[in-house]
Amino acid sequence: MMTSNDLIRLAFAMTLSFLSSNRSASAVDYAKDIAPIFEESCIDCHGPDKEKSGLRLDQRALMLKGGDTGIATIVPGDWEGSYLMEVVTHLDEEMAMPPKRDPLSKEQIKLLEEWVNAGAEWPGQMNTEHKVETDHWSFQPVVRPEVPAGEASAVDYFLNRKLEAAGIEANAAADPRSLIRRLSVILTGLPPLPERVERFVEAYPVDPDAVYAELVDELLASPHFGERWAQHWLDVIRWAETNGSEANLYRKNAWIYRDYVIRAFNEDIPYNQFITEQLAGDQLGVGEATGFLVAGPHVPAATVGREPTAIRQARADRVDEIMQTIGASILGVTVSCARCHNHKFDPISIQDYYSLTAVFQGVEFGGRYPEFNDEHPRIVRAKEIRSEIGKERNLLEKEIGYWEEDFGGFVQMHFPEMKTRALRVEFDKPSVFIDELQVYPSRFGNENIALASHGTTLVGDEKMLDPGSPPARANDGKFGTMVWKSRAPKGSKDKPFVEIRFKEEEITNRFRFSNNREYYFETDYLDKKSGALPGYRILALTETGEWEEIANTKRYRETIAKNAKLKESAHRLSELIYTLGEEGPQHAFVGSFHRPEPTRVLHRGSPENPRDEVVPAGFEVLDGDLGLDNRTPEADRRLQYAEWLTQPDHPLTARVMMNRVWHHTFGSGIVPTASDFGLAGAPPSHPELLDWLASEFVANEWSVKTMIREMVMSDAFRRSSAPKTASLENDAGSSLLWRYPPQRVSAEVIRDGILQASGKLNKEIGGRSFRIHNVKKTYAQWEVIDNHGADTWRRMIYQERMRRVDDQIFTAFDFPDCGQVRAKRPVSTTPLQALNLMNSPFVVEQSSFIAERALKEAGQKLPAAIDRIFQLLLERSPTEDERQACLSIAESNGLEIVSRTLINSNEFAFLP
Amino acid sequence: MNEAENVSLKGRQLLDRRNFLKNTGATLGGLGLASLLSAEDDPAAFSGKAPLRPLIDPKNPYSARPAHFDAAAKQVLIIYCPGAVSHVDTFDYKPDLYKFHGEKPPGMPAVTFEGPTGNIAKPFWDFKPKGQSGKMISDLLPNLGGLADDFCFIHSLHTQTSAHPQGENFMNTGFTMEGFPSFGAWATYALGSACKELPAFVAINDPRGLARSGKNNFGNGFLPAAFQGTDFNAKNPPSNLKRPDSFSALDDKSTVDLLKHLNGNHLEKFPGDADLAARIASYELAGEMQMSVPEMMDLASEPESIHKEYGTDTGTPLKREYAKNCILARKLIEKGVRVVQLFNGSDPSGGNGITNWDSHSDIAETHAMQAEIMDQPTAAMINDMKRRGLLEDTLIVWATEFGRMPFLQGNGTGRDHNPEAFTCFLAGAGVKKGFSYGESDEFGFKTAVDPVEVYDFNATILHLMGLDHERLSYYHNGLERRLTNVHGHVIKDVLA
Repeated sequence: MMTSNDLIRLAFAMTLSFLSSNRSASAVDYAKDIAPIFEESCIDCHGPDKEKSGLRLDQRALMLKGGDTGIATIVPGDWEGSYLMEVVTHLDEEMAMPPKRDPLSKEQIKLLEEWVNAGAEWPGQMNTEHKVETDHWSFQPVVRPEVPAGEASAVDYFLNRKLEAAGIEANAAADPRSLIRRLSVILTGLPPLPERVERFVEAYPVDPDAVYAELVDELLASPHFGERWAQHWLDVIRWAETNGSEANLYRKNAWIYRDYVIRAFNEDIPYNQFITEQLAGDQLGVGEATGFLVAGPHVPAATVGREPTAIRQARADRVDEIMQTIGASILGVTVSCARCHNHKFDPISIQDYYSLTAVFQGVEFGGRYPEFNDEHPRIVRAKEIRSEIGKERNLLEKEIGYWEEDFGGFVQMHFPEMKTRALRVEFDKPSVFIDELQVYPSRFGNENIALASHGTTLVGDEKMLDPGSPPARANDGKFGTMVWKSRAPKGSKDKPFVEIRFKEEEITNRFRFSNNREYYFETDYLDKKSGALPGYRILALTETGEWEEIANTKRYRETIAKNAKLKESAHRLSELIYTLGEEGPQHAFVGSFHRPEPTRVLHRGSPENPRDEVVPAGFEVLDGDLGLDNRTPEADRRLQYAEWLTQPDHPLTARVMMNRVWHHTFGSGIVPTASDFGLAGAPPSHPELLDWLASEFVANEWSVKTMIREMVMSDAFRRSSAPKTASLENDAGSSLLWRYPPQRVSAEVIRDGILQASGKLNKEIGGRSFRIHNVKKTYAQWEVIDNHGADTWRRMIYQERMRRVDDQIFTAFDFPDCGQVRAKRPVSTTPLQALNLMNSPFVVEQSSFIAERALKEAGQKLPAAIDRIFQLLLERSPTEDERQACLSIAESNGLEIVSRTLINSNEFAFLP
Repeated sequence: MNEAENVSLKGRQLLDRRNFLKNTGATLGGLGLASLLSAEDDPAAFSGKAPLRPLIDPKNPYSARPAHFDAAAKQVLIIYCPGAVSHVDTFDYKPDLYKFHGEKPPGMPAVTFEGPTGNIAKPFWDFKPKGQSGKMISDLLPNLGGLADDFCFIHSLHTQTSAHPQGENFMNTGFTMEGFPSFGAWATYALGSACKELPAFVAINDPRGLARSGKNNFGNGFLPAAFQGTDFNAKNPPSNLKRPDSFSALDDKSTVDLLKHLNGNHLEKFPGDADLAARIASYELAGEMQMSVPEMMDLASEPESIHKEYGTDTGTPLKREYAKNCILARKLIEKGVRVVQLFNGSDPSGGNGITNWDSHSDIAETHAMQAEIMDQPTAAMINDMKRRGLLEDTLIVWATEFGRMPFLQGNGTGRDHNPEAFTCFLAGAGVKKGFSYGESDEFGFKTAVDPVEVYDFNATILHLMGLDHERLSYYHNGLERRLTNVHGHVIKDVLA
């Protein structure tokens, strides 16, 4: 009897080929010379019995595959490149083999060397190869189960079968008041408005199904639907607007990705398209969607120090963040477990991991101008503004001939188009530092001709040379802290200058420079971003070899100061440029793309130990070969990988998303470990249901809304949450859904619900995040300075999200710190939550607003105002006994104490 | 063919685990089998030793829970020094630094964290033998030096990073990355707290603000928020602790009464619902905290002699503030708070190093400024705790994220980061006194004898608290996560 001896249930299908092979004869014979060495020294540990480190030396195919490290034990024909050589010659001291006994003799090693170099001939096994297989459920194809005709809801059919089998009686439908609150919160994150509740409750008895269905459609169409469901997605990928790590810098305009996710859910963009856009939106005119790739935290290169090893490690860590994002959100696989060795549980090898890194090797944490389609509102707006800008430019050109423009991150000087071999820029300050200067050929030319790579050299004043910061840094094409520095000696009246010497005569009309454009584009809310730029004059080298002034900032300012028309024009130009930055396409932290180096497997995860090259691919066990190699342009890799992920028969993609949707609809997933469908995750409680949902999802063109509708239309979703002793005894966790499981609502629902009740909630969708923190120094912590003022009265999804920073009210309600992926928020109960809801300025103020509103709407009558507060916060009227209790407190302590109390009540915090 | 043979190895491991629990469940200090297996999200998958899940009462997540085995220490006080304290200028005496002073460092790298390597520099303060043990300690920390006979030094620590925030993360959460639970969160998740009216885990931040990794140093990571460190110090109460100015005490009482009434009505619809009951209990605990925290922060009742000993009225304003934090720390430990984490330093680098121990330039001045703040109050606190018998049950951990280089940074006057060797010390419950473990090399550049990884350090602290670092785990995103990841060995030699 064969024992199943494989930790991760990999099956190795050995296929024998009977084709004769053309090999040179070797003097070394496997059976005579080699097998005895393995038998004597290796097989005890690395054979069918123990399989230490996942390695077996009893089959050639398994030697070629290697063990957990993922390194081939032998490379036929290449002894030097064989791991076997490293371990038996003790080159790798930590892996010296055989361990705890005498090393192999020189003769034995010699035999192995000859055997490998001659092709590692192994009679009968020369054409065997291993194929990774698995019988783990989630890697198997989705099989659509049959649903008998006449079943109103497939969801109920599968759930009820389990309930029947367990002998549990399901609860009846919830009362309409509970139902509308539950449905509104689940679909939009906002409690229903009291008037809508009354309308629903009144109409419900007449035709419950129709009235309920109408409500479902209304809420699915609400623009607030996307806000609620986007947050779930952002949780999983731990999206935040700061880097984390030391400086925890703000990621400028990263919020446009958040808006994209909201829009995607609102417009019900098919999930396969949603994935594709997030991986390769730059290729599809939705550039902002790639914010997904850089959602995780990262350590910027500038803060890891100067040691090359630390710099390489930091890059590998950044790439791993991308792997975690994709693994947790789309695949539901803990991909990163295969970063240092083959996955301990799942059929994912270290090669799979690095093949996946190869797909994303061109991605870096940073920003760019997102690619938009021509119809994108920002593109349309930019066209309008640019045409206005053109008018002012024409005027200034005609009247002065040259003019300066301030783009915030850099300034730009236009001058009359001319031919010259060199420009000279003379600054008016004794000290300048410049990260980059650029020269453009003509009004519409966009190629920077000042670049060293264009053949241009920069020459500064020798007396002012700082060897660590030479002029060449200003034309290396790199923005940021690596600058050209020039400082006049003390007491000298000289000022720095730079000569821009072209390789040959050039046509030019524009000069542009900055001192830290990276900081301007990539971050925000720092108290000091970069120093003010100096004034300067530009001279051009004439044919006769003289320097002739062509522009001068001082004279420009004097000229426009003297002429009202010009002054007005220059002012308008500045405003238009500012508007373009705000309303046109914005440089945003949604990732940047670069030409990648070939990707290699990093032995034990260490960037200091690169080994075999791997090509971009999906998981081998799921036929992930994309036919790509390391020359494939990086964008193509992402596109092709997205195509692989979104094949209709991919066993993970649809299942993982359907489970996630289920989790957020019913409070717990069919697979409770929503981001781990591997062997270490939990098995599905209703496998057939999950498969039905996955197949229905694909059949419905990956429409998330359709599937949510399917779930909330079920009887199961509509059941009362009342506890029943008999059922609780059978299924205490309500995992079989005999009742709708009651749950504490999330931080957002509490906060947004309070603001809606007070009538202060600004329901505008999207846009820049509202600020609650300070403007800080680079290396300082974010501090909450105002978490309750009128500017913060928007939905919480728009609150600026600084990684690991506590907002001092709602973070305490298990709001994630965005450091690690969060497929499921824990729900805890702490005294700090109580203190925050009792005493925070936010709650104190909102309690008063709610009281004021209630009084006003109740015609200043106290008992009616109390009724109104109950309606606003709990969507019901008080019982007589509650009314009396509240009345006496309102009279003695004020009505705001009543609203404060209701905000703190369990009824407000729990979903019925 | 029996059942076990018919399943995969993984399956057999799981069976084995269940058998293990079945066999040992009854003897695990009150932790019943049912609670072990019914814990939420139990993925039924684990590669190492079986997890021991604490049985947490939802009504009071802080109630005391039994340790895995007899604990030497019931409580822990961590003194954390952000910025990296120079081991070669404080506790790790290296005579060779005098011998090679001013010379090019042999066999050391040309470039370290901030740039080029300079010449070997002798310690900036003289070392003298201290106490009966004769331990060589520098004059930078005269008061702490006086307690040498109580300390258990570990000189052979090394870490995985030379950047501060990652280093802080590693020391305090066991991972260089962000988002993992802090030591205090793990300890209180496992053990709860004997103290009913105070949070189980208090982070006393430096008067200058949070350390570089901010809340990550005392956060709950992916553990439930109940286990995060509550952040306050002698000057600033926890946010929202105080009753708002616009409300009277009677307003508060009315709120609480009305809340009880409403919640009582609501609970009738959900009889026996533990989550609802837990939330009601949390308001009671909050009320108790409103009384007890100000009591803790009020140092006026401390005798003059204590104020004098800690130095709350002498020295620089920062030192006075820190001294008050030290008194607060002692009071919290006295009250039974499970974990107190006291910070001596805050965030921003630069600024002449006066915000923390980071001393890339002018170490003579910047370390002296930090030492002035730390030395007297910390020593007084430890002495005071010793007098009161608190060290019988309390473990003291003095820690920093890495050491500093034996050579100067470039041609400057400071020392760069040294992740390869640094010193921390333990004291109090369960550890040897007047003992030194491990050695760095002759220059203090790299660990040489008995290297200690941060994992080992954390495993040892957990062990002292009666917790098996391999079994204290929490399922998160596909893995049984531990403070020590998949590493760590208890350093048996330091145990008393």
